[in-house]
Amino acid sequence: MSADNCGSCVVNAELARMGVNVDKVDRVVALAGNPNTGKSTLFNALTGLKQHTGNWPGKTVTRAEGGFEFASVRYKLVDLPGTYSLLSASHDEEIARDFLLFGQPDATIVVIDATAIERNLNLVLQVLEITSRVVIAVNLMDEAKRKNIDVDVRSLSRDLGVPAVGIVARTGEGIHALLEAVGGVASGETHTTPLRVKGTPEFHRAISELVPLIESLAPGVPNARWIAIRLLDGDAEVEQALSSGRLVELAAAQQQAAQRFSGKIALQGAQ
Amino acid sequence: MPPALLMSLGGLALALVLYFAFGWNLRRRTDQTRHRLEDALKHLFDLEYRGRRGSLASLTGVLRVADRVALDLVSRMQTQSLLVTRGSEFDLTSEGKRLALQVIRAHRLLERYFADEARLPLPKVHAAAERGEHHLSPDAADRLSASLGHPVVDPHGDPIPTRDGFVPPAAGTPATAWPLEQLARVVHLEDEPPISYAQLVAAGVAVGQTMRIIASTPERLVMTDGENEFRLAPAVAANIFLAAAPRDSGQRSAARLADLATGQAAQVLGLDEACQGYSRRRLMDLGFTEGATIRPALSTFAGDPRAYEIRGTLVALRRDQASQVLVLPQEQVS
Amino acid sequence: MASPTAADVLHRAAELRGTLTAQFRDETVKSIYAEAERVARRASHQTGSARYDFDQRIDRLVTSPIFGLPIMALMLATVFWLTVAGANVPSAMLANFFFWIEGHGAALFDSFGAPWWVTGFLWHGVYRGLAWVISVMLPPMAIFFPLFTILEDLGYLPRVAFNLDFLFRRAGAHGKQALTMAMGFGCNAAGVIATRVIDSPRERLVAILTNNFVPCNGRFPTLIMIATIFVGPLVPAAVASLAAAGAVVGVVIIGVIFTLAVSWGLSRTVLKGEASAFTLELPPYRRPGVMRILYTSLIDRTLFVLWRAILTAAPAGAVIWILANINIADISIARHIANGLNPLGHAIGLDGVVLLAYIIAIPANEIVVPTLLMVYMGTGMMTDVTSIEDVTNLLINQEGWTLLTAVNLMLFSLLHNPCATTIITIYKETLSIKWTTIGTLLPLGLAFLVTFIVASLW
Repeated sequence: MSADNCGSCVVNAELARMGVNVDKVDRVVALAGNPNTGKSTLFNALTGLKQHTGNWPGKTVTRAEGGFEFASVRYKLVDLPGTYSLLSASHDEEIARDFLLFGQPDATIVVIDATAIERNLNLVLQVLEITSRVVIAVNLMDEAKRKNIDVDVRSLSRDLGVPAVGIVARTGEGIHALLEAVGGVASGETHTTPLRVKGTPEFHRAISELVPLIESLAPGVPNARWIAIRLLDGDAEVEQALSSGRLVELAAAQQQAAQRFSGKIALQGAQ
Repeated sequence: MPPALLMSLGGLALALVLYFAFGWNLRRRTDQTRHRLEDALKHLFDLEYRGRRGSLASLTGVLRVADRVALDLVSRMQTQSLLVTRGSEFDLTSEGKRLALQVIRAHRLLERYFADEARLPLPKVHAAAERGEHHLSPDAADRLSASLGHPVVDPHGDPIPTRDGFVPPAAGTPATAWPLEQLARVVHLEDEPPISYAQLVAAGVAVGQTMRIIASTPERLVMTDGENEFRLAPAVAANIFLAAAPRDSGQRSAARLADLATGQAAQVLGLDEACQGYSRRRLMDLGFTEGATIRPALSTFAGDPRAYEIRGTLVALRRDQASQVLVLPQEQVS
Repeated sequence: MASPTAADVLHRAAELRGTLTAQFRDETVKSIYAEAERVARRASHQTGSARYDFDQRIDRLVTSPIFGLPIMALMLATVFWLTVAGANVPSAMLANFFFWIEGHGAALFDSFGAPWWVTGFLWHGVYRGLAWVISVMLPPMAIFFPLFTILEDLGYLPRVAFNLDFLFRRAGAHGKQALTMAMGFGCNAAGVIATRVIDSPRERLVAILTNNFVPCNGRFPTLIMIATIFVGPLVPAAVASLAAAGAVVGVVIIGVIFTLAVSWGLSRTVLKGEASAFTLELPPYRRPGVMRILYTSLIDRTLFVLWRAILTAAPAGAVIWILANINIADISIARHIANGLNPLGHAIGLDGVVLLAYIIAIPANEIVVPTLLMVYMGTGMMTDVTSIEDVTNLLINQEGWTLLTAVNLMLFSLLHNPCATTIITIYKETLSIKWTTIGTLLPLGLAFLVTFIVASLW
C-alpha cells in the first residue's frame, strides 16, 4: 500500500498540473462516454452533492468532479466532456484525450448506451488505445429490454478484454458491481487485455516501425502505439507533446515510480 | 515659442512624414517585386510539373505585366541563380525549385484551410490563398499544416509538397486526351484560369467523381458520372485531369444520401471527397463509414434537415451534408 | 543505434505518412467501426421487433410536417404560461415577506436612533434592491428551469432544434441556436453558456451575440406591465388580457425575427462563412431522473443565476437610493440626470427617466420598473406597484406617456444591451474583449436605431 502511494506521488504531480486536486484521495477515476448515454446521471448517482463544477483550464468546457468512497477507498471522479470520438480535435475531445493521456487516471469508466452499442464502441476502442485501465459501464439496460435488445455483457467484456458491467444509472441498478470492477482495475488487481484495432497491413507496418522509435525516445511510455497512430495522423497536440519533451518527462517519471515500486517489492520479499 | 524652434519642429515633422511615406512606398515596391518573383517561380514550377516549360510569353501572360517588367524579373532570377535559360525557355535551378515549392506549399495549405476551416466557397479559395501565400513563412506553414492534420492534397486534388520539398509526380491526363467510354476518376481540377475553374464548379464537376467520356468533338466534350451529363468546351475540359478509376469504385449504382426516399434503406459507400475537414471527421465519428446500414427516418416540413437511422442511433443532417454521403440503395424488401 | 531525438521521430512519422494512402484518418475510423460492428454483433441481439416502436411513433408526430411546429409551439407556450402564471403568487408572497422584514428592520434601526441615511441606505437601498430582485427572479426561474430541464432530459429539445433548423440554416446559423434561445427566456447569461452545445466556433459566436434578443425573465415583468396598461385598453375589456398577452407574444416574435436577421447579417459580414457541419443526434426518449432534474435546474442553473443577480442588485439598490435621496437645488440627482437625458430620450420616443432607469438597471433588468416609478413619483424609494390603476394614472396622466412611449419602451427593453451578468458571461465564454464589446454595443445601437425610426415614422 505504501509502495503504491509512492507510485502515485509522481502521478499526483502530473495531475496537479492538469488542475485536479488529488489531496486526500486514494484514486482518480475518469468518466468518459458519448453524449446522451446517461453519463451525468451516473456521475450524479456516484457523487451526489459532493461535486463541484467549473471550467477546464483555459477552455470554456464544463468540468465537473466529485468524490465518493467505496470499500474504504476514496475516489475522485472526473467527468470528461461527452464525445463521440477522440480524433476530431474539437475542444471537448482534446480535453478528454489530454486527461486520459497526461492525467493518467487510475481507472476510466466508459459509459455506453446499451441500445446503440456499435456506435458507442467507436469511443471505447479509441480509449482502449490510450489506456488499458478501463471499465465499461453498459448503461440503459432497462431501455434495451424495452426495445427488445438482448445485451450480452459477458461477451462484450471478453471481446474488449476489460470488465463490462450492465447498469441502470437512473435507478442505481448494477452500480455496486460497477464499483467493484473499478476498484479492481484501479488497484491493478484486475488484469486487462484491451482489444486493439489492427487496421490494414500498410498501417500496421508504419505503426510497428514508429513504435520502437518512440519507445527508445521515451522509455516506459505506456502507449507508444497510440502515439504512433496519432503521429501518422498528424496530430499537432501529440507532436507538440513529443517535441516539448512533455511526453518524455511523463514516461520517465512513470518508469521511476515503477522501479521504486518493484524495488520495494524486492525489499519486502528479502525480508 | 521662438520661431526658430517652431521651424525646426516643423522641419522634423516634415522629415518624418517624408521618411514614412517614402519608406512605405519602398516597402510596397519591394513587396510587389517579391510577390511577382514568387508567382513567377510558382508558374514555372507548375509548367515543369506538367512536363512543359515556361517562356517569356507565358510569364507575361500569367503575371499580366509588360515584357520589360518580365525581362527584368528573369534577369533578377538569373542573378539570384533561381533559373537558367535554355534557348527561349526557362529551367528552374534546384534553389529555384526549393523556393517555388515553399510558395506552393503555402498556397495549397492555405487553400485547404480556406476550404475546410473557413468554409469559403470553392471558387473563392484560390484567390484567397493567392493573397496569403506571400505572407506565410515556412515555419508558419508548418504550424498550419500541423493544425490541419497534415493534409496531403489541396481541395483541387493537387499534392501539397512536404516541408522537405517532396512532391509526388503529377497524376492524371487532361479529359481531352482521355479515351472514350473508359471509366476514370477526376484527380485534379486546374484552378487557373479562374473563369474556367468557376465553370467546372458550376457544372458540378468535383475531385473524386467517377466519369465516363461519351463524346468528344472539337466543339464539345460530353462526359457523365452515370447520372448527370456534363457538356463542356474542350478548353474548359482540358482543365479536368483524369486517372484510371479503381476497379471496384461501384459508383454507377451509387446514390447520394440526400436523394434517398424516406424509409429506403441503403449501405454507406463512403464520403464524397469534397467533404473534408471538420465536417468529414464528424460524420465519420458518428459512424458514416463504409458498410454501415442507413435509412432516412424523419423529415421536417421544410424537407431539410432529415434524420437518418445509423448504427442504432438517429442523426439529423442538412441536405448539403447528406448529399456528400454516397450510398448503395438496398433492394426494397416487400 | 543512438537513441532518436523527438525531431527524428517526427521526421520519420512525416515520411511514413507520405507513403500511406491519402486518407489515413478514414482508414483508421473505418477499421475501428469494422471492429465495433464485429464486437457489437456478438454482444447485442435484437429479439422481436423494434422497428416500429413507441419512440418512433412519437418522433414521427413531433417532427411531422403538419403537427410538428404546432406541438412545439404548444409545448413552449405551456412552459411560459406555467412560468408566468405560476410565479405570480410566490412572487407576491416573497415580496410581502421581504418588505415586511424591511419595515421591521428599518423600525429597529430607527429605535436604536440610527441616522436616517444609514437606515435608508441599508434598508431602503441595498436591502430593497436585493429583495426586489429575489422576489421577481426566483419564482419564475425555479419554475422555468426545472420545466426546461425536463424537456431537455426527455430528449425533446433536440427535436426542437431539428424542427427549427430550416430557419437558422438560412440565417447561416446552427439549429441548436434555437435551444440556446429557449434557455435565454430563463436568463440570457444561462443562454450564453448554453451555446457550448454548438461545435462550430463561428456559429457559436453568432448564437452568443444574438441571445440578448430573447427577452429573459428579468425583462418580462416590464413587457407585461406595459402591455397591460397600454395595449389592454385599446380593445374591448373582455379581450383586454388576451390582447396584452398577444402584445407580449408579438414582442417575442419580433425578438426572434431580430435574432434571425442579425444572425444573417453577422454571417455575411464580421462572421463570414457558410453554415458548417450540422450533425444533430436525436437521442431516444428517456424517462427523466428526478434527482438530476432538481440538481441541474436548481443548483446548476437557478441558484447560479440568482447568485450572480444578487451580487449586482445590492450595489444597484445602493446607487438608486443615493441618486434619489440626495437633492441638489431641491431636486434629486436622479431627476437632474433624467432632465439631462431628456433630449436623447425624446428623440427615440422615450424620456430621460426611462434612459436613466436603463442605465441603473445595467446590473439587473428587473429593477427597471421600480426605478421608473421611483423617479417619477419622487418618493426616494423603490416602490412596489400598489395598483395597476395608480401606475396607469401616473404614466399617462402625469408623465404624458403615449402609445408610442409604450411601443418604444417594449422595443427598447427587447433590443437594448445585455445586463452586466450577461456581459460578463459573454466575456468568460469568448475570452475576447472585442466580441464582448460587439455583443454589448450592437444591441444597444440597434435599440436606439429602431426606436428612433419608429419615433420618426409615428
